[in-house]
Formats: sequence, structure tokens, C-alpha cells
Amino acid sequence: MVDLKVEIAPGVILRNPVLTASGTFGYGREYADYLDIAELGAIITKGLSLKPKTGNPGVRIAESACGMLNAIGLENIGIDSFIADELPLLRALGTTVIVNIFGNNQADYAAIAAKLDQVEGISALEINISCPNVKAGGIQFGTDPEAAANLVAAVRQATTLPLITKLSPNVTDIVAIAERVAAAGSDALSLINTLMGMAVDLDKKQPLLGNVTGGLSGPAIKPVALRMVYQVAQAVKIPVIGIGGISTARDALEFLLAGAAAVEIGTANFINPGIAYEIVTGIRDYLEQRNYEKVTDFIGSLQ
Amino acid sequence: MYLFKTEITENRQLSPSISCLRIKAAEDFCRKAAPGKFVMLGNDNELSDPLLKRPFGISNWGNDWFEVVIKIIGKGTAQLARLRRGAAVSVNGPLGTGYPPPTCATCDNDNETLILVAGGIGIASIASCLLPVAANRYLKKPTVLLFGAAVENELVLLDEIKQSTAGLRIETITDDGSSGRRGFVTDLLKNELENSTALTFACGPEPMLKSVQQVLRSYNAQGYLSLENRMACGFGVCLGCVQAIVGNAGKGQNAKVCTQGPVFAADEVIF
Ligand SMILES: Cc1cc2nc3c(=O)[nH]c(=O)nc-3n(C[C@H](O)[C@H](O)[C@H](O)COP(=O)(O)OP(=O)(O)OC[C@H]3O[C@@H](n4cnc5c(N)ncnc54)[C@H](O)[C@@H]3O)c2cc1C
Ligand SMILES: Cc1cc2nc3c(=O)[nH]c(=O)nc-3n(C[C@H](O)[C@H](O)[C@H](O)COP(=O)(O)O)c2cc1C
Ligand code: FES
Repeated sequence: MVDLKVEIAPGVILRNPVLTASGTFGYGREYADYLDIAELGAIITKGLSLKPKTGNPGVRIAESACGMLNAIGLENIGIDSFIADELPLLRALGTTVIVNIFGNNQADYAAIAAKLDQVEGISALEINISCPNVKAGGIQFGTDPEAAANLVAAVRQATTLPLITKLSPNVTDIVAIAERVAAAGSDALSLINTLMGMAVDLDKKQPLLGNVTGGLSGPAIKPVALRMVYQVAQAVKIPVIGIGGISTARDALEFLLAGAAAVEIGTANFINPGIAYEIVTGIRDYLEQRNYEKVTDFIGSLQ
Repeated sequence: MYLFKTEITENRQLSPSISCLRIKAAEDFCRKAAPGKFVMLGNDNELSDPLLKRPFGISNWGNDWFEVVIKIIGKGTAQLARLRRGAAVSVNGPLGTGYPPPTCATCDNDNETLILVAGGIGIASIASCLLPVAANRYLKKPTVLLFGAAVENELVLLDEIKQSTAGLRIETITDDGSSGRRGFVTDLLKNELENSTALTFACGPEPMLKSVQQVLRSYNAQGYLSLENRMACGFGVCLGCVQAIVGNAGKGQNAKVCTQGPVFAADEVIF
């Protein structure tokens, strides 16, 4: 039987390289009817902030060719309610838990990280840096290498938990940001978050989404994600987790081949809530048929 | 909830733009079906286009089948409504929280009339209180169906409903007067509420539901509304479908229409 174990950050060893992407897997229990969550590599929670957040008003979802736009606005129950109400249930399901966090400023991020440092049952933090930095005039932390590195350094100070920094693709040079974030102490990188897009209602002559712009995800973004994962994996020494449009085991294998240590499944969960486990078995079958002993021999073997 | 691949066993065209699909399902699925619940239904192809499944009310069901009534709106509904007998589809369901059973505290009053209000394709959801054998228990109360549509040929399912529920009083109204009276279904609702204490279930486009809510308020009458917010997942994980409601038991102002709804007490909904 092929060994699917991967190490995605120092000491964070997963039973297989299939994770679920933040914002597409709720807090895990919603999937209990569809698959055995303990069979996945890890669950990444919906993005959590210090205080609960209501998210954006108006239409939040639009579909485009082979993709979807979302403008949820990071609605979440807040970190305290997560720790009290959701984490115990998630732990009972027997899975590895990675918590995705975001804030309005560096202090928010550091405060959440410090809080989670004291909590049992969390294997790592994923830092979503695609949020507006209020202090720096609303630019995203994730689009400015300097701001991104400072943020990661601040979170690093606040916690001993392994850190995965989730990169935004809405930048000119993702490799430059990846290198700075790695140097600032991130243990791993995950990419990509959604690509900024827009939809209009032609007949009403109005933007379709309440927030005007939204994030594009799904199969439509896979080639962009694959290119970015490939470039970043070549440039940094820390593990890179691939995200973007992965809907089949073959998609996942392509990212592993291009250098991803693991993958996250996002939008595909909405269409087939059992897909993450199907991808685990698909990867296993593919590698077994080709006589691999371990998945790590396959990772990064693109010629 | 179940996720399964299955097939269409029948496609009946009810009007130029509305079709009724009968779909094979396991007994367990059918046991979990209930008035007001829905499914996410998708083409079972590998093309990712359209990408997401689409939500449809379960309008009727038996031991090993269920039906959805689909009005063609855009790409997804056009593809689904065209599927023929034998075509493969993928289903997630039964999903959501439907209409309250008639034995609930608020409606356990036999003198009370049950008013069912359907606007346009909202009849697909309302029919789930009338068509399934399992829904017969609703009809122990005196029941009236108020059905409004833009034009006559959108007044679908009436023959089926008359057959399954003999003696049901039905009032229709069309925006253009092509069948029944001319006007809005809320005009009919006002008439009913003048004459009786009633419990109202309503499904239709948002502007209609808004005015149903106002009418119910002005008569101090109890009712439930079935909402149709856009959905990506249908089972509570994307937060795409949320609706502001009052008194959400400390869970914040937003309710997930796909799990806490699609049916909400009319008083709760903040339009
Ligand atoms: C709980 C629920 C039950 C429903 N029951 C029925 C039913 O029984 N019969 C029926 O004909 N229709 C029903 N609808 C509406 C139906 O889902 C939409 O008409 C359909 O999704 C439109 O898809 P499309 O690809 O044709 O349209 P497009 O406009 O091309 O769709 C683009 C996107 O918008 C979403 N969308 C567009 N219009 C609506 C809408 N009115 N409601 C929800 N999502 C929308 C689609 O799901 C899709 O993601 C229901 C909706 C909900 C939420
Ligand atoms: C509805 C929705 C909500 C999301 N919410 C978050 C979030 O809270 N935090 C985050 O870091 N990413 C969030 N994402 C981005 C995904 O985690 C993922 O990076 C992106 O969707 C690309 O992967 P995919 O194409 O497989 O969906 C969200 C995506 C979607 C579609
Ligand atoms: S449709 Fe995804 S949460 Fe309701």
C-alpha cells in the first residue's frame, strides 16, 4: 500500500496530502453525512476573526463559465465561539484541524494567534493575508511584500503553532511575496486564494454582486494556480500547498507533480461534498498502479 | 442527506417554459422528503458547465421517486428542463427545513383555515403540501390554494392538484387577466384573511413574499414564507444564501436559507 503521508510544516505530518480549503468546508461537521472526515489529510476552517463578522449584504454568489464568484465578506462566528462551540465537535471527528485566521490589522492577527496558541487540538494556523490593511490605507497585506512580511513576523512572535501563509494571486509577482513571507518565518505557504473578478446584470444595468467585486474560484482558475504553485515551489525551500480549481484526483496529482507538498479542495466540495475523499482514493490508486512506494517520491517530479 | 447519481424516468412539459421531471430515488431518500424541502440537482456530466448544482423544491414524491418542477430561467435550468427519460442526474438532498407540520403548536387548531399562496413557479414548493400522499395530513384543515402567475400558461400543476385533493378550493389570478381574476395573489390573500383565522404558507418571488409579509402583519395573522436565495452549496457551508432574520437564537443576524430555511416564520424575515 502506497504511503500517502506528507509533512506540510515542521512536525505537521498528515495522513495524506488532501486538505479542504477555508470557506468551503464550514467547520467540518456539515460534511459528516457525506464522508469520513478522519480520512482526509486535514480540515481548514472558515476564516475566523477576533469578533464575529456579518459579511457582505446583497447577492453573494454568481456563476461564470466553469467557475464561481463569491463575495461572502468573510462572515464568521468569531474565534471565541469557534473555540467554545465548534472545535470540540471537530476534534471529536478525529481529524487534523488547521485554523484559518484574518484580521483588520496586525494586532488583530497577533491576538487571534496568541489565543489559539493556548488551545488544544489545533495543528497549525493558515494566515489569510488577502484582507485590507486598514492602517496602510486599505491595501491588502497580501499585495505588498513589505506589509506581508511584517504581518507574518508579528504572528510568528505571537504563537508557537506552525504557520502557513495563504497567498493572494492578485499581485504582479507572487514569487517576490512568497520569498519575503518565507524569510519572515512562515513554515509553509498555501496558494492561491481567489482571483478578483466581477459580474454585471446586463438587463438591470447593475453590478450583480452586492459587493460589486468578488473572488473567482473553481476549474476556471486551475491553470493560473498551477503556474503560480510551480513558480513558488521552485523559489522557496518551505512546503507549498496547492489550491485552485482542483476537482479530480488527476487535478490534485498535477499540483503534486508541479511541486505542491499537499493540496486543498475548495469549490468542488459544493458540487460533490464527498469529493475530497474520492480524491484521496484516486491519488492512492494512481500511485499504486505506477508502483510508487510513497507519495513524496512523486511530489515535484515534473520533468 | 444523501448524495447520489440517478436518472430521469419521465419529463412532462407543463408549459413552454416549465417542465416536471420525475427522478428515481432510494426509499430512504423518500422517507426523508417533506413539504418545503429541496434538492440540489445537477447534470451528471464532467464538463463543469454549469459548475454548481441548482436548488429545486421537491414538489411530489412516492416510495422510490420524487418530482421537481423546473421553470427555465438561464443556462442551468434550460439544460435540466431538456433532459429526457434515462438521462443521468446528480442529486443532493433532501435539504433544508420545510413547512411546519400541521400538528405544531401554532397550527393545531382545526377551525383555522390553511391558506397556501403560490406565486409563479412558487407552486413547485406549495404543491409539496398537496400532491404527495404523505402530505395528506395537511388537508385535515379546510384548505384554500391561492395561485397567482404572470400569464395563464404559468398556472401549472392545477390538474394534478385537483385530482389528488378533491374538494380543495382554488382561486387563481393573473397579472394580465388571461385566467381567473386580474391582479396580484396578495389581493386574494386579503379577501381570505377578512373572512377567517388562518395559517398561511407562501412561496414565490421576493416582491410577492414581501407583500405577503405586510398583509399578514396587517391582519395579525401567522404564516410561513419559503425563500429562494441564490445558493452555491445547499447544505450550509458556503454562506452564499444568507438572509437577515430577527431572533436568530444568538447566532447573529444572518440565517442560512439552505439549512435553517428555506421556510421561515413570516415575522422573522427582514427584507
Ligand atoms: C430553495 C430553493 C428552491 C427552489 N425551487 C425551485 C423550483 O422548485 N422550481 C424552479 O423552477 N426554481 C426553483 N428555484 C429557483 C432555481 O433554483 C433558479 O431558477 C435556478 O437556480 C436558476 O438557474 P439558471 O442556471 O437557469 O439561471 P442563471 O441565472 O443562469 O443562474 C446563475 C446562478 O444564479 C443562481 N440563481 C439564479 N436565479 C436564482 C433564483 N431565482 N433562486 C436561486 N438561485 C438562483 C443559480 O443557482 C446559479 O448559481 C429554487 C431556488 C431555491 C433557493
Ligand atoms: C464561498 C467561498 C468562501 C471562501 N472563504 C475563504 C475564507 O474565509 N478564507 C480564505 O482564506 N479563503 C477563502 N476562500 C478561498 C478558498 O479557500 C480557495 O483558496 C479558493 O476558492 C480557490 O480554490 P478552489 O478553486 O478549489 O475553490 C473561499 C472560497 C469560496 C468559494
Ligand atoms: S447555499 Fe451554501 S450556505 Fe446556504
